[in-house]
Amino acid sequence: MKHTPLHDWHRAAGANMSEFASYSMPLWYPEGVKKEHEGVIESCGLFDTSHMAAILVEGDGARQLLQRTFTKDLRHCRGVGKPLMEGRCVYGVFLNEKGHVIDDAIVYQKDDGCYLVVVNASMGGVIAGHLAGFNISAVLRITDMTDRLGKIDVQGPSAAKVVKGLLADPLRVLATMPYFSFKGWFERDGAADETLCCGDIPVLLSRTGYTGEFGFEIFTAPRYLQKIWQAILEEGGERVRPCGLAARDSLRTGAVLPLSHQDIGNWPFLRNPWQFALPPTENGKFSKGFVGSEALEAATDCHFTYAFAGYDPRKIPPGGRDGVVDARGRVLGRILSCTTDMAIDRVDGGIVSMATAIEDGRPADFKARGLCCGFVRVRSELDFGETVYLTDGSRRIRVEIRRDIRPDRTARCSIKKMLQMPEEEENERAR
Amino acid sequence: MKELDELLLPDDLHYTKEHEWVKVEGDHVVIGITDYAQDQLGDIVFVEMPEEGDSFSAGEEFGTLESVKAVSELYIPLSGEVVAINEELDDSPELLNRDPYKNWIIKVHPEELEEINDLMDHDSYLKMLEGE
Repeated sequence: MKHTPLHDWHRAAGANMSEFASYSMPLWYPEGVKKEHEGVIESCGLFDTSHMAAILVEGDGARQLLQRTFTKDLRHCRGVGKPLMEGRCVYGVFLNEKGHVIDDAIVYQKDDGCYLVVVNASMGGVIAGHLAGFNISAVLRITDMTDRLGKIDVQGPSAAKVVKGLLADPLRVLATMPYFSFKGWFERDGAADETLCCGDIPVLLSRTGYTGEFGFEIFTAPRYLQKIWQAILEEGGERVRPCGLAARDSLRTGAVLPLSHQDIGNWPFLRNPWQFALPPTENGKFSKGFVGSEALEAATDCHFTYAFAGYDPRKIPPGGRDGVVDARGRVLGRILSCTTDMAIDRVDGGIVSMATAIEDGRPADFKARGLCCGFVRVRSELDFGETVYLTDGSRRIRVEIRRDIRPDRTARCSIKKMLQMPEEEENERAR
Repeated sequence: MKELDELLLPDDLHYTKEHEWVKVEGDHVVIGITDYAQDQLGDIVFVEMPEEGDSFSAGEEFGTLESVKAVSELYIPLSGEVVAINEELDDSPELLNRDPYKNWIIKVHPEELEEINDLMDHDSYLKMLEGE
């Protein structure tokens, strides 16, 4: 099994370790996954995500190669006519010719000829090979950066305040930093806009994450990872809590974000909640051709993927005899993901989060018991609000097909607001 | 994750291979989960319990424990009738993580108390854990 540079730290902290994509990773620390999940909603959580892989695409033809292979149209990334540009990044997927998902990714544009493609654990070689297969430029370099890049995610409403204390020039770096933008690079390369952390460590600081909450991903050379991790814990004090993969999974599910190879995979990337990863369409045609686009445009008969939420924390883990059925017991499809978002509960039928403001419907004495939630893949179209049942053959759980799950998420909040947020408001949110 | 020598395993309890404990109290038995079980499961977020008056044969499933990552069945160690359920667990399932011995799950009036002799004592349970 592979280890990240923080492996010894996780063990010493008493983490419950488990294998994930051939890495030994923390599932949760002794305080438990519930506190970790809630901590990210209320304040700030720290995740070791160094198991994730990255590919560097550099040289003439880099943009053309990504335009050809990545689903997102790089000319229309942030809305029609707004291209991917320097210092911005974008979420999308890599498909095969059948329109099936190989992996999802975030593509970072350093400059016209240099892109960092961040993919899931163990997918570095696969995606590097896929890109090489479509490369027609003799001068393009495709480098699998697996295990050569460390990554820490700082997620939650206090993340900006914590990160601010570690940056060499926080005012400049954080002054303008919209969602899905980044500053700096993970190694020193002579660029003028260096972003330095803990004194002189070069980092790529990105306003992204995979929890649905406000925060950053910090990329750096593996040898600096432990120092930055420790510095964040010291700077953040009580506000920061290390979190494992279980909290990451429950947070991303509540935020309706897919887990690659589980919620998206070896079937056409269509009729799911993540169609924003595809280019804009006109008359049924995408704004660009890309690997898999013809198959998607021609597809007539494929399944539907929906988010769902239950009425209490009970769940049916996918695998084995799981199924989605209607009230009469007819099989509609299967469960892709099923977990408990511990920050939410039902109030008068609707869903309320511990982050919901009192004036928006959170009862003053709200105590979230948590709700079962996840994704199902079914043969026929369903309506939002429709009831279906999850079953494992013996138990049956009623759930509602939903457009969204956890309300009042902070991912898109402005950095300015997060930096100005007084401590009292943070504490109020926390309550 | 706790090391074996960090686990609390009281001497005066009977144990099952499904990581439950049983204690005799007068003419009924009290059933809960062990420190090992709660540590392995992580945060318990829901406990599905039977109704008072339900009867089960030894080895039958009588409820489920939901942790964030998993759902685990609870198996009854002795045949009998459920005489009490711990209603506190409805609102505060985390009590099982906090103190799995103080916070029992059900009380059962056993058909034959002798079935308790089929269960493990402290030393055999610890030996089984060492093998896991």
